[in-house]
Amino acid sequence: MLRVLGNPVYALISVGATEEDIAAAAARLGVDRPLPVQFLDYVGQLLRLDLGRSFTSNLSVGDEVLRRLNVTLPLTLLSFALSVLIAIPAGFLAAWKARTWYGTAFSALTQLAGAIPVFWVGILLVTVFALRARILPAGGFPRTDWEDPQAALRALVLPVLTIAIVSGSELARYVRSASLDVLGQTYLRTARATGQSFAGALLRHGLRNGIVPVISVLAIQLSTTFVGAVIVENVFALPGLGDMLLVGIREQDFPSVQGVLLFSTALVLLLGFVADVLQRILDPRIRGTLSGNHRSRAAA
Amino acid sequence: MPRRTSPRSLALAVPSLIAIAALTACAGGQSAAPSAGSAGAGSADPDAVITIGSENEPTSLDQIFGGSSGVTEAFTGNVYEGLFRITDDAEVEPLLAATTDVSEDGLDYTFTLQDAEFHSGDPVTAQDVKYSLDRFISEQSIAARKRQLSVIESVTAVDDSTVAVRLKSPSISFTYNLGYVWIVNDTAGDLTAAEDGSGPYTLTDYRKGDSISLEPFDGYWGDAPANGGVVYQYYADPTALDNALLTGAVDLVTGQSTPDALPQFSDENSFTIIEGTSTTKNLLAFNDRVAPFDNVSVRKAIYSAIDREKLLDSIWDGRGELVGSMVPPSEPWYIDLVDENPYDPELAESLLAEAGYADGFSFTIDTPDSGVQSTVAEFLKSELAKVGITVDIRIITDDEWYQKVYTEHDFQATLQTHVNDRDINFYANPDFYWGYDNADVQTWLAEAEAAASTDEQTELVKKANQKIAEDAASAWLYLEPQLRISTAEITGVPQNGLNSLFYVSGIEKVAS
Repeated sequence: MLRVLGNPVYALISVGATEEDIAAAAARLGVDRPLPVQFLDYVGQLLRLDLGRSFTSNLSVGDEVLRRLNVTLPLTLLSFALSVLIAIPAGFLAAWKARTWYGTAFSALTQLAGAIPVFWVGILLVTVFALRARILPAGGFPRTDWEDPQAALRALVLPVLTIAIVSGSELARYVRSASLDVLGQTYLRTARATGQSFAGALLRHGLRNGIVPVISVLAIQLSTTFVGAVIVENVFALPGLGDMLLVGIREQDFPSVQGVLLFSTALVLLLGFVADVLQRILDPRIRGTLSGNHRSRAAA
Repeated sequence: MPRRTSPRSLALAVPSLIAIAALTACAGGQSAAPSAGSAGAGSADPDAVITIGSENEPTSLDQIFGGSSGVTEAFTGNVYEGLFRITDDAEVEPLLAATTDVSEDGLDYTFTLQDAEFHSGDPVTAQDVKYSLDRFISEQSIAARKRQLSVIESVTAVDDSTVAVRLKSPSISFTYNLGYVWIVNDTAGDLTAAEDGSGPYTLTDYRKGDSISLEPFDGYWGDAPANGGVVYQYYADPTALDNALLTGAVDLVTGQSTPDALPQFSDENSFTIIEGTSTTKNLLAFNDRVAPFDNVSVRKAIYSAIDREKLLDSIWDGRGELVGSMVPPSEPWYIDLVDENPYDPELAESLLAEAGYADGFSFTIDTPDSGVQSTVAEFLKSELAKVGITVDIRIITDDEWYQKVYTEHDFQATLQTHVNDRDINFYANPDFYWGYDNADVQTWLAEAEAAASTDEQTELVKKANQKIAEDAASAWLYLEPQLRISTAEITGVPQNGLNSLFYVSGIEKVAS
């Protein structure tokens, strides 16, 4: 990581600094020590649950990560919830009505929306809702965080929409293919033959079969939403983890970058674990095997 | 980049939308669109909190640990004060130093201190001044002006309100340089997340990556601020900053970095564009140590082959100024040297022939990947192609620039903006990255620093100024304009912002 980022001292000095200044700054940050020593030192810190201090601002990285979760966590969860709300009905409809013109139009639309870059959607929404109609802020987040929940939510409307449009469309395509799969199955026909209604058969047999591959996709999608937040935070000037990561990289602030990455990696692993557990609960066939992951990965 | 018609006319054209905006905006606690027609009318609201949008977030809150120009913009003169203050017109005024005595030989300075108080309630004493100056030039300091202030030999607290400073050699710029040194409380400890200065504002909130909030300090010894506090709101993306100004989320921006965005703010009833003079010089710096740039004729030829007027026009659309050397018009030793190396491709060709490069040559420009530099590099490439010189553009990161160009001097030519004031002194340092080595210039600039009067200093620096221009030590392309934009309700914004100084206590907002 240190090698990727380059020398953090260069982010601190200005033109005119002497070699002695550069050496003094390196000594203060501790980056003049041999790499293995720096690494062991860092691991030792982590074992004490300490993410260290930023090279540039000298603030505690752990505190900063927690503070910025105030923005990034609601942003991620809300966008995810909204994209699921868009994707499941849209995807199912596109599959159910696959042969009609609007079914095709639907899947074309999701295809298109999923292909648009996130930042562009953001700029578009800002232009329409903030600059023209002036009904929502163009960016920023209340300095009081969630003390005024309404203001905080208003600040998140456009960013959440931005992410939900793009990742919801992606998700809708997964839902569509899973639904197509299920709708063509003979067990649905069998269930209907036993006298169940179409909706009843779908809920009882279709949903349970169709949702299993979707869940593993959902877990991956939630992680992607988290990553999408990085770009969206930049467009909307939101002081979240994504902003911390970008600024950290620009300032070669190794402890901040590493802190954000460690935290998000842990989060993604946790989500993967939760998805696996959920799948086992929902699908008795996976419960019996040891490597339940295989099926879902293939489906994804 | 969204280029829309004026937001004001849109808002007026759609009254129903204004109602919606007002309804939703009051819930958000953010001000809606600037109210129409209030420009110039009404009286200033002394309790108004001014929101300042800036792209220049401090990397650290402590100036000695590389706080960069961002911390100067937010804190110097606002939260912290120096013994002296540099005005917006680059004059030196006493601030915490009530009186100054200088010995005949220019080595001993005695300051008596203003009766002032730190935000923590402690009085400003000679001990604090000693602590602050020692701290600034300490081994661990990487402050921007440390080298100039290392001329200090010792600082003594004579009594509570008298400080004696002894210099190693006379330094005519000493009081000027002191204008940048914060006087901090000697019991303040770590200043990277807190402050204890004596300025008109105290720090009330610091949200890294987002904002810095300042409130007026009740115990301030000088004039109380004209506003009820300021909030610096930081933006990483220039478009997001422009949008914030357009929607009234910020009252003013400290610097417009994207010239393309200016037409959005052209409506005089809604916005004021304040154009000041900056100290930001954009230059093509040659490595004067290596061939062919060790040859004065080659440097002059390249300089004369560039149509700088066209360059400045295409980038800043008529704003900004041409300079013929490292010295901008705001400095006492400015001379108009633009014609010293006029734009003249024929002259360039004959100079090249004289230097033995009639068939041209090729070289590489290491170009930092920031701002307009890649556009400038492309322009230079096409200009120099006309006189037979082939340019390779190599885009590098800031990190690479500091490593390869600044530290290792491993380059042929590079593009760089130099933001500091009075930085002609870099031409007296043969070890500086561009490696200009002229004994006369070094002597003049050293003598100027040791001069007994500012007149004498000015004369000597002028000679050096003339000489570096004659030698085309670098190719100074232009001086960037200092563009601030505010809503029409705002007055009292500092115009020039030399070296990032930005005093906010005079900014007023009309009551709405």
